[in-house]
Amino acid sequence: MDLFFQQLINGLSLGALYALIAVGYTVVYGIVQLINFAHGEIFMVGAFGAYATWMVMGQPANLSVGMALGVVLPLMLVGGVVSSVVVALLTERVAYRPLRNAPRLAPLISAIGVSVFLQEFVRLFYGTIPFVTRIPGWPDAKSAVPFPSISGISDASVQIGGVLVQASALFTLLALVVCTVFLWFFVNRTKTGRAMVATSQDPDTARLMGINVDRVIVAAFAVGAGLAAIAGVAHGLRYGNIDFRMGFLAGLKAFTAAVLGGIGNINGAVVGGLVLGVVEALASNYLGTTAWKDVWAFALLILVLVFRPQGLLGAKVVDRA
Amino acid sequence: MNTVIPDRIKIAYRYPARAVGAAGALLMLVSIFLPWAYGTAALDDMSYYGAPSPLQLCFGVLALTVLALLTIPLVGKQRLGKWAKVLAWNTTAKTASITALITAAIAVTSVAVELGGLLNVEIGGWLVIFGGVAAVASTLFLPDSPEPSLDEVKSPKWLQILAIVVLMAVALFAAAFALGQVDAGAFLTFGSFLVAVVMVLRQFGVFGWLGMAAAANNRVLVISAFVVAFLFPFTQNGSNANMSIAAQVLIFAATALGLNIVVGLVGLLDLGYIAFLGAGAFTAAVLSESAYSHFNFHPPFIVTVLISGLVASLLGLIIGAPTLRVSGDYLAIVTLAFGEIFRITMNNLDGNDGPDITNGSNGIPDIPDLNAFGFNFGQPHVILGIDIGRFANYYWLMLLVIALIIVVFTNLNHSRIGRGWVAIREDELAAEAMGVNTFALKLLAFAGGAFLAGVAGAVKAHHDVSVTPDQFIFLESAFLLAAVVLGGMGTVMGVLIGATILKLLPEKLRFFSDYRLLLFGLLMVVMMRFRPEGIVADERRQLEFHAEDEELAEEVEEELITHKAHLNPEREVFEL
Amino acid sequence: MGIPVEEAIKQVQTMDRNVLLDARNVTMQFGGLIAVNDVSLQVHSGEIVGLIGPNGAGKTTFFNCLTGLYKPTFGTVTFDGKPLPPKPRMVVREGMARTFQNIRLFHNMTAIENVMVGMYTRTHTSAIDAVFRLPRHRHEEIASTRRAQELLEFVGLTGVGDTLSRNLPYGDQRRLEIARALATEPKLLLLDEPTAGMNPQETRQAEELIFKIRDLGLAVLVIEHDMRFIFNLCDRVSCLVRGAVLVEGPGEVVQNDPRVIEAYIGSPATPPAPTTDSAGGAADA
Repeated sequence: MDLFFQQLINGLSLGALYALIAVGYTVVYGIVQLINFAHGEIFMVGAFGAYATWMVMGQPANLSVGMALGVVLPLMLVGGVVSSVVVALLTERVAYRPLRNAPRLAPLISAIGVSVFLQEFVRLFYGTIPFVTRIPGWPDAKSAVPFPSISGISDASVQIGGVLVQASALFTLLALVVCTVFLWFFVNRTKTGRAMVATSQDPDTARLMGINVDRVIVAAFAVGAGLAAIAGVAHGLRYGNIDFRMGFLAGLKAFTAAVLGGIGNINGAVVGGLVLGVVEALASNYLGTTAWKDVWAFALLILVLVFRPQGLLGAKVVDRA
Repeated sequence: MNTVIPDRIKIAYRYPARAVGAAGALLMLVSIFLPWAYGTAALDDMSYYGAPSPLQLCFGVLALTVLALLTIPLVGKQRLGKWAKVLAWNTTAKTASITALITAAIAVTSVAVELGGLLNVEIGGWLVIFGGVAAVASTLFLPDSPEPSLDEVKSPKWLQILAIVVLMAVALFAAAFALGQVDAGAFLTFGSFLVAVVMVLRQFGVFGWLGMAAAANNRVLVISAFVVAFLFPFTQNGSNANMSIAAQVLIFAATALGLNIVVGLVGLLDLGYIAFLGAGAFTAAVLSESAYSHFNFHPPFIVTVLISGLVASLLGLIIGAPTLRVSGDYLAIVTLAFGEIFRITMNNLDGNDGPDITNGSNGIPDIPDLNAFGFNFGQPHVILGIDIGRFANYYWLMLLVIALIIVVFTNLNHSRIGRGWVAIREDELAAEAMGVNTFALKLLAFAGGAFLAGVAGAVKAHHDVSVTPDQFIFLESAFLLAAVVLGGMGTVMGVLIGATILKLLPEKLRFFSDYRLLLFGLLMVVMMRFRPEGIVADERRQLEFHAEDEELAEEVEEELITHKAHLNPEREVFEL
Repeated sequence: MGIPVEEAIKQVQTMDRNVLLDARNVTMQFGGLIAVNDVSLQVHSGEIVGLIGPNGAGKTTFFNCLTGLYKPTFGTVTFDGKPLPPKPRMVVREGMARTFQNIRLFHNMTAIENVMVGMYTRTHTSAIDAVFRLPRHRHEEIASTRRAQELLEFVGLTGVGDTLSRNLPYGDQRRLEIARALATEPKLLLLDEPTAGMNPQETRQAEELIFKIRDLGLAVLVIEHDMRFIFNLCDRVSCLVRGAVLVEGPGEVVQNDPRVIEAYIGSPATPPAPTTDSAGGAADA
């Protein structure tokens, strides 16, 4: 039974990671009906942005828990969020906005291009002044980069009964809770948030009502990117390293989570993420070997799309013919 | 560029502009007899006086073209007669000089890079740049010519056929020459020269005429294209390196053509298409006589090909039947997930995580050469005194496969089924309400495309000698999609060109292989932004991407009428 | 009022003809919204039936229930003696075709291609036939092309076969939609506002066209707002208000029914205006 609970808590923390990324898919899809294929890369950029912040801070190591949690981690989170948001907004401006009235194939293909471009850009140019020189001391992103350890998280864990809970898992769950509360507040209590809801329901009417739809779309991309960056940091803390390819699989899983919860539905993304994480953790433990765990996640995606395309909590738009 | 200089000034200075431009062109022409580089190692050795290298000669053609375009109109409108209006003299002169300058710049830059600095550029290299700049600057002062209308000029049938045959022969020669360039700078320079020639011909109006001639003599075009492609190995004289590249290009192109049915004709985005190629390859590998195959059933190749195709299309049905109802962008993600499932599964069928079928990540190595039609594909031959190696054999086999795929593609496209596909792309709901069985038609495209990829995969397994799961990663699917997008969705010619570019460039330009994917990502974004219909545009696709363009709609209509694509049931079997 | 003898003849004819479409108690609910409430309607073969009602009365929703686009929450639809199949394309095969209120042509296909798409259910060329250019493909292509040409001429679109449908004038697009629907060889044609946006002359032509279609032996069910058009055309008219049938009967009866007038222009403070049709038209505009 301990094993079950162990897997459950593993699944929940993994799911929290997926949920944080999934929100980005769902918010953007809800408003522009675009699957932001490059969102996984935004998540990856967030992790590398946080790492860069740590480098700029002078690679602080062996700090007291207070310093690490009170200063270094928050600054890394800010650095990650800023880099993700900047990249996401650039992407939106360059690759998506000009294609808003094009056939639906066009932005999707453009998004694939962005996704490949971002991966390669990080792989080739991280830690360099492009085409000029490598910045001394910075790691080469062509292989996995060890993520800095944060005292109080990276090495800590809590024993509850027979279940061992890593502090990084708690961090991820806590981040999800905080972000969900923030999102709820943002959507329901701020002008921009309400404009977002209005735009997702009817962009034309929203425009007629004086809502600046461009700004709303930008806000959606920014919110999604911010959460993805936090997930990027959580990922780094959880696995101890980051690499330029990490966005692909995580992005695909998070998309599955978004569809599972009902794409376009923010609560759905959170629920979908958690469910997917738990299913993956339990399935890889009880069905076949762990080599199959990704297969279960993708199989779930296909099953959901076939039998309940509106997701668990219901989607805004399901099938756009 | 048209608005930079006011028409008033253009009219006033047209003669001086012509003179300066001609002088620039003359300078470029002279420069090919001068050395461009101090060293012999750069490009194809441009270090001699009075003896132009082949690339310099190519460049001479461009310079001569600029000169001719600028001077011939001087004989006056009367003497030019109808040719004054039918051809776009001035605009073409501008295009020709710009592309010539770019070609020269690439050549000179390559010299500098390969020999280590601008110091190594000789007098001719500087002269050619100077002449090019003069030509470009002065042609900007020429008034724009009207749209060329050469395609409306009546021409005898024999001339059209001759033109097509000559074009094909030139294409063969150019392809052989391009592949023969070992030096990256030389390859780039020659590529730029080819692009320049194509752009000049297009601007001048010759392409319009050729298009008309090709449409009128489709059979000649197709047959000569295949003859040329068939003859290609004879130009290589046993060079295995180039023939291997050529065979790989064909395998890639065949798969991209299969994907083009799904993406180009029906408009479904399939991001896991590589899995079908993989299914075919693994099936063929397992059924081969490789010592690492765990099966004891080794049918003749023709059966293997069919089984490979069927396995792939079965996979297509399994993935398509549930998901094609969902439609929309979800399909893209589902197919992507499916592609990953396929790869992971192939990885896991290793005896530890599942039954032992594929040897897991090691894959199935040592696949013997094909032995079909009483002919061992691994055996080199000598035909007409020319060595025909192993890869040439596979090249010819793939040519056959491609021919098959083109027949399937075009004949389906121009039929009741093709019309149904267009209707689905345009308005799925209306199509359904008009009685079109949209689901069955989508499934047909999905399974049919998968079948063709499976067939290509079967050949690939033998060509590559080994099959491993990591040959079938998502990036390969993205590459296939890029070939379709770059070339032109829904066209055969475009996808062939797109596949060639995407496969050939990285092989020939090793120095940029590290930036290959970066550029590829950028290319996808740029294409979608500026030319979503691809290099060779399918008329209807073009309209879909430019819904607001009324002028284009009129043009396309004229095109459709001249081609009568839809009204001729006797239409020839092939079409490029 | 109407002449009794003619009325009687009409009724006898109606009884003689078999019932083609029989919708009984059709109800369509979207969540809490009842868009169509317990509507029953019969169409006999060779009959032109009108469906009127103010905007949002549920006419198009009812159409969608008839053509398999929606599955009614309650009620049954029988077509040609058989229960209505569940998919639009199957409904087409059974012999019911429709046009759309907002024209839904295949814009980047030519006129003739549009019509040929309509023949999809009536042709049988398979992928194999097409790939190998077997005789069936050739014969069907020739026959379809000829038939499409005839249909275009029938609806008055001569010489525009090769025009992209997006380049056609508005009125011609409506006709093309009708030609495309006729290409499915229907027994019953459903027209959703065929004269919307047309000028009086075009409307008259549309009227003639619908009579011509009826004379081919087809039944027609037409949604329209133009009252003069509908009462000229239809043997019977059904008026839908807020999802339910308000009045049904011969044109004159419906035309003069005070409830219909009220539904269109509201409860009269003064006695109803005598010219109902123009009032109806105004309400729509």
